[in-house]
Amino acid sequence: MTRNGETVKWITARRRHPLAGYVVVILALALFGVGYAAMAPTAEDARAQTLAAEAPAPDDVDIAEGRAIFDQTCASCHGQDGSGTPNGPDLREAGSASVNFQVSTGRMPSMDPDSQMPRKAMVMSEEELANLIAYYDAEIRDGEAGPDVPYEVPGSEPQREDFEDEGSYEEALETYEAEYDSYIEGAEDTDMGMKLYLTNCAHCHSWSGGGGALTDGRWAPEIHDATPREIYEAMVSGPGAMPMFSDGVIEPEEKQELISYVKTLQAEPDAGGIFALDRVGQVAEGFIGWTVGLSLIVACAIWITAKQRAHD
Amino acid sequence: MSKTTQAPKALRGVGNYIDDRFHLAKTGEKNLRKVFPNHWSFMLGEIALYSFIILLITGVFLTLWFKPSMLEVVYDGSYESMQGVPMSEAFASTLYIDFDVRGGFLMRQIHHWAALIFVAALVIHMLRVFFTGAFRKPREINWLIGVAIFVLAMVEGLFGYSLPDDLPSGMGVRILQGVMLAIPLVGTYISMFLFGGEFPGEDIITRLYVLHVLLIPALLLGLIVAHFMILWHQKHTQYPGVGKTDKTVVGTPMFPAFAVKAGGFFFFTFAVIAGLSAFVQINPVHLFGPFAPTSITSGLQPDWYMGFMEGSLRIFPNWFDFQIAGYPIMTAVLVPGLVIPGLIFGGLALWPFIEQWITGDKRARNVADRPRNAPVRTGVGVAGIVFYGVLWMAGSNDVLSETFSIDLYLTTYIFRVLAIAGPILGFVIAKRICLGLQRRDRETLEQGYESGTIRQLPSGEFIEMHKESSAETVEVLSSKRDPSSTALAEEDVDPSGVENPEARKGMGKLRRALAHWYTKDNVTVRDVEPHSGHHLHHSHDHTSQEGPEEGKDGH
Repeated sequence: MTRNGETVKWITARRRHPLAGYVVVILALALFGVGYAAMAPTAEDARAQTLAAEAPAPDDVDIAEGRAIFDQTCASCHGQDGSGTPNGPDLREAGSASVNFQVSTGRMPSMDPDSQMPRKAMVMSEEELANLIAYYDAEIRDGEAGPDVPYEVPGSEPQREDFEDEGSYEEALETYEAEYDSYIEGAEDTDMGMKLYLTNCAHCHSWSGGGGALTDGRWAPEIHDATPREIYEAMVSGPGAMPMFSDGVIEPEEKQELISYVKTLQAEPDAGGIFALDRVGQVAEGFIGWTVGLSLIVACAIWITAKQRAHD
Repeated sequence: MSKTTQAPKALRGVGNYIDDRFHLAKTGEKNLRKVFPNHWSFMLGEIALYSFIILLITGVFLTLWFKPSMLEVVYDGSYESMQGVPMSEAFASTLYIDFDVRGGFLMRQIHHWAALIFVAALVIHMLRVFFTGAFRKPREINWLIGVAIFVLAMVEGLFGYSLPDDLPSGMGVRILQGVMLAIPLVGTYISMFLFGGEFPGEDIITRLYVLHVLLIPALLLGLIVAHFMILWHQKHTQYPGVGKTDKTVVGTPMFPAFAVKAGGFFFFTFAVIAGLSAFVQINPVHLFGPFAPTSITSGLQPDWYMGFMEGSLRIFPNWFDFQIAGYPIMTAVLVPGLVIPGLIFGGLALWPFIEQWITGDKRARNVADRPRNAPVRTGVGVAGIVFYGVLWMAGSNDVLSETFSIDLYLTTYIFRVLAIAGPILGFVIAKRICLGLQRRDRETLEQGYESGTIRQLPSGEFIEMHKESSAETVEVLSSKRDPSSTALAEEDVDPSGVENPEARKGMGKLRRALAHWYTKDNVTVRDVEPHSGHHLHHSHDHTSQEGPEEGKDGH
């Protein structure tokens, strides 16, 4: 391509063509149209994704080690025999579900018995917890009092450091995921799960499971990290300010529907945009509307006026 | 380009055709030459106008598929999570718009974001008009129309929020009904009438829909048109400056400069709203699920513009509830739900007339006040903002409590104290800042501006040179009017010892007291010669011959 004897690029020679503007507009429209078709949210995108899990059975446990753990980490507040002290409640009728919930969510052992404990990493290994529960069941628990650990509900995901080699870890993970999926997908009545959750749970934990403020400085924790088993245990044991929802009030199948609903909701992608504002809702939306939306538009008004004045 | 003063032939032909029939050329020319003053703050109302246009267009799009019916259906659309769930047709059709209509999800989000931006733009536009005194004669009627638009916009937003029949919208309607029920005597009748029976009934969505898409938008559109026609007729206010008086407007002609600017600004507004809608999720009704009267959730608020009402409901104590012959009067709902918003909007509507009554200023004011030059008005405005802001924050007390780990009950007490102390503090601080700025203005007028040039005097002292301000600055600063009131024109007691009859009557007394309050603090510039201080302040060469003692003056 040459012009005035000079070689110019193909595009340079044509960019002032009378039709060039239209070509650019058509290309841009085509790009957006095709791009939109490719990016548009579809129902499949919004479909539930599933998490992952494990299924241990309380076998070959070491009650003696459980006793050692109890005496070291629990007895100072709950007493040697678990009957409670001014610092900690009586555990004899709490049930093993309660022990499993409190320890596996890292709330126990507590550093400060006077304040509500947040969720933390568990201070002991799964094996040590199993030993502790075995000791609790054998020596402290008052017969069959209190709810049992619901082993049929998927608990926490297997951790690599608990396994000797990669192979057995992968295997355990696969088993866990299969169980998790079958538990979550085994619930089919979305309506029941949703109604149960929105009637009994959402007024503290919020519709998204993001938690919320309670009276007297307490709060309902967010339940995104809670495993199905922990949610189940929280319902049957009623930790802290939470009411107890025994299996007689909400049956195990209904609990499965409820847990499946909230876990599915949490795993659901945000079809409305990549910024979901943590699903906080209207407060966050209003905040963004003012700080980002209106501020940008006002900044533009200032800029346009300055530009115009520069030309006056 | 300079040779083409004539329009292209094709356009000329069409133009002549139209002009031969409607004689539009003259009107057109006159209006196209209409002058608009240049300042970014005069474009805030435009944001509201453009968002309203976007709302109308996207709203029409949504009505093509939305079914305002509470008939129960079982969802079997393409959104799998909700399949098999019984819900109202309104909710099901909203899911249809989201997941089965191409671009429907985006349109719904644009509609919602545009609503948030619309009301926010109304607020900042109104604040601009308030703080610059642009509501004064001859614009009081337009101010009233503006207040009506604001109230209608809130109601319109509330009703629109209620239409999808998702969890938050049902909770919003429930609060609305609660406030209605608290009205003595007629409350239950109003509620039964609106809902066609008990809450939620089967009619409410259909009724809110008609109000949302027909009645209120028509009223809004009419009021907005009236607002603009009055603006067009009265012309814009302008900030003080050279050549700007109550009788002449200085600015850019409507065509082409202003039209291009405004057109570009529309697209920017649309870009921001569309950008937010594309990337930031808003009101995800498919995640909330349908409303059922048993369902309730924490951490849920109305859209921001209803936040202050939510807040006033949340923090108002129930200490004043009482009963008449066994019938409870729910002041804890009535006062925050109706009286406080009534005070806020009533106060807004009445302020121009209150201020006119205090000052007795009956002249047309086309030059805007600088906010600092009306310190009492600015203070009152800031007090109003603080009061509204505290209520607004109180509306999100549970989210604040959780986010910042503050005791929920404590936030209630903090907001109760702030709702009373905050406006007072806001008034005092804003007024003090205004007076401080007035003092600086006076100094600038007197001495010129600080040039940043440092000079060393023969004595070794360092001083900063002041330079003469531009003619524009001098004009802006020296055009300041001192706040005055005709109420104070006459003395309380005339020279012969007779009391002023006005000052003896109750209203006269009140007016004089308010006039005193309105005008007492002021830094006048009337006795200032521009740059009269410069011989003391070394802005010319001869100043270097001055003694150091003189040089210290004023530094």
